[in-house]
Amino acid sequence: MGTINSAFSIMSGALDADQSALNIVANNVANANTPGYTRETPNWQENSPIAIGGVSNGTGVTETGATSVRDRVLTERLDQQQQLASASGSRLTALNTVQALFTPDSGSSSSTAGDIGSDLTSFFSSFSSLEADPSNDSSREEVLSSATTLACDISNAAASLNQQRSALDQEAVGVTSQVNALTGAIAQLNQQIQSTSPDADAGTLEDQRQQDLSQLSQLVGINQITTENNGLSITTTAGQTLVSEGTSYQMSTGMVDGVSHFFVGTTDITTQLASGGGQLGGYLTARDQDIPGVLSSLDQLAYSVSTKVNTLNNAGTDLAGDNGKAGDIFSQSTQVAGSASTMTVVMTDPNHIAAAGLGQGTGDNSNATAMANLAKQSIVNGQTPTDFYSNFVSTLGATVSGVQTENTAQNASVTQLQTQNNALSQVNLNDEASSMTTFERSYQAASQVFSMLDTIMQSALNLGQQTTVT
Amino acid sequence: MRVDPSYSSNLVSALDQSQASEQQLTSELSSGVSFTSLSQNPVASGENVLLLNQIQQDDSFTQSSSMVTGQLQVADSSLGSVVSQLTQAISLATSANNGTMNSSDVKSISNQISGILDEVQSLANTSYQGQYIFAGGQTSTTPFTTSTAASPAVTTYNGDSDVNYLETPNGQRIQLNVPGNQIFTANGANSVFGALNSLVADYATGSVDTSQAVSDTTALSTALNYVSQQRVVIDNSISQVTAASEAVTSDQTQLTSAQTSLMQADVAQVSTQLSLSETQQTALEDVISQVNSTSNNLFSKLQ
Repeated sequence: MGTINSAFSIMSGALDADQSALNIVANNVANANTPGYTRETPNWQENSPIAIGGVSNGTGVTETGATSVRDRVLTERLDQQQQLASASGSRLTALNTVQALFTPDSGSSSSTAGDIGSDLTSFFSSFSSLEADPSNDSSREEVLSSATTLACDISNAAASLNQQRSALDQEAVGVTSQVNALTGAIAQLNQQIQSTSPDADAGTLEDQRQQDLSQLSQLVGINQITTENNGLSITTTAGQTLVSEGTSYQMSTGMVDGVSHFFVGTTDITTQLASGGGQLGGYLTARDQDIPGVLSSLDQLAYSVSTKVNTLNNAGTDLAGDNGKAGDIFSQSTQVAGSASTMTVVMTDPNHIAAAGLGQGTGDNSNATAMANLAKQSIVNGQTPTDFYSNFVSTLGATVSGVQTENTAQNASVTQLQTQNNALSQVNLNDEASSMTTFERSYQAASQVFSMLDTIMQSALNLGQQTTVT
Repeated sequence: MRVDPSYSSNLVSALDQSQASEQQLTSELSSGVSFTSLSQNPVASGENVLLLNQIQQDDSFTQSSSMVTGQLQVADSSLGSVVSQLTQAISLATSANNGTMNSSDVKSISNQISGILDEVQSLANTSYQGQYIFAGGQTSTTPFTTSTAASPAVTTYNGDSDVNYLETPNGQRIQLNVPGNQIFTANGANSVFGALNSLVADYATGSVDTSQAVSDTTALSTALNYVSQQRVVIDNSISQVTAASEAVTSDQTQLTSAQTSLMQADVAQVSTQLSLSETQQTALEDVISQVNSTSNNLFSKLQ
């Protein structure tokens, strides 16, 4: 049979529990703007009933502590999407800098500066003018000056691309130290979580680990593997272990073939990082794939144009009467790779331009015609120089636009997942206000019951006497 | 259902986007160009390169054609003078051949024809901007020199038979010169200088070998016809260059208009988009100020 005393006990327990719940609400409100904080809810537990004389008597409630409201699958999904979005984001930034070198020429004279497409046309057109008057000095000067502009613009573009490439290299190396700091912190948190909370959600520690994971996801592509006792192992997306529960493996960098490579221990993980995601993945994709692709197109263009023009110039007669040995107009590189950055005009005397055919008088224009016609021949990778450049800018533009679309979609997906996660785990002040009112009312009710019990107890103690105990 | 409590940060990112779009639209309006980077319109960027290439080629051909037209016209007028000189020589020779002249008159005819010979030679050695135009490819060598060591004197051609062509942007080849040996020292009866030199020798002594002189006179008229034919080649080239240049100019006009419409911003469309963006931005700002006001919070209702 329940007693007034047990009722007192139930009520004081209820007051404790309500206070504890109010405490959790207060903590949620206080951390409403803390990054990575996951809202907590009180755990209510009905106390075991006591059976006295075959009658079961309730013994009230206990608040057993707060539980963080989180969905591990959702957060991991968010992290994965974040890795993709930051990879395409950093790749897009790099590509935007690349495409700024090839701004479309609107056709006005000021926009022509630095435009390789119009340089190509000017260069070959200068041979057309030479065709009209093969021994004209100013036409010859024009050929050399347009050749110089073409060579300068191509080599400047190549130099800028190489600079961008080494800047990306440095940024990628900079990411490594952040990755190492985060994996170290996660390993340490793993140890703490495994020792303090092997069976349940570790609350604040878990929040910190989650925060570190989402930061790490922005930097590099990772897989998360939950291990026993609430531990966590992290590998790169291709499977190289970065954190194994309480141990982290540091990433190091070293120069291989002029670019930084990334190692864990002695394993070179550069290629897997490039395709893995995160900022590092984006930087490496731009460094090892996008920029080299653009450079190789420029190399092909520079190599083909200079080789063909030089060959023809050495197959004609110049104004000085050099038959078949008029010399090169452009510096002749021996291989395609690197020809764009080394492209220069080596001819200084315009009289050495071989406008006349081999063995012809200096008034002949057949070789100038042949050089002008190079513009219409498929000399660069099976295309005319202008077609090649036109395809090149279209392809580059399409790549940038593709990455842009990809990035927009991924960011939208990140926002959506973030919204879902925020809806679940972030502190909603209206919810907290409502919870607080509920717990407050519950506390007030418990106090009220307590004071009524007090009156009842008073009556019981006095046994009908009104004044003995008040 | 739970909602994302930090919706106002999503609103702010929407505001950023709308501002970025406004910036883009404003720059299109101010520059008049519809895209300023390759990724905004990759296909049009490639197309633009090709169009500009053709426009520039056309432009360059227009300049070349005015250069060659000058040279062709000089060649034409030189040949015109040659024709009138030769006509005069033929009439002088014909009058000498009719047997009514005395010895000194015949000698004087010889001198006059010799003067015409010099004149024709100087016309054959015409240069344009320092280059001999009837010398084939050897434009820096005087094409015709006369040696008087023998009688009749011999005029030698020092140039070659090289013919230059100008190619139009669509590949048409226009002949730019006729080598001097084809006009003035062609083989057999067509040689202008051969006929002139023979006539000078025929009349030099004052006594005329009529049959020889008549035959040489006939040779000169044949040569004159031949020169006129070669002049037609030059005239044809002039009209070809003019026609090609006109075609190229009209082609260039069309290409320029295509290129402009490719690159030009559609002002009406851009303005509409800009106005929509502005409306959206205002709306977003209002929404943000509403949702962020402190009264929109349950705590503010609690007493």
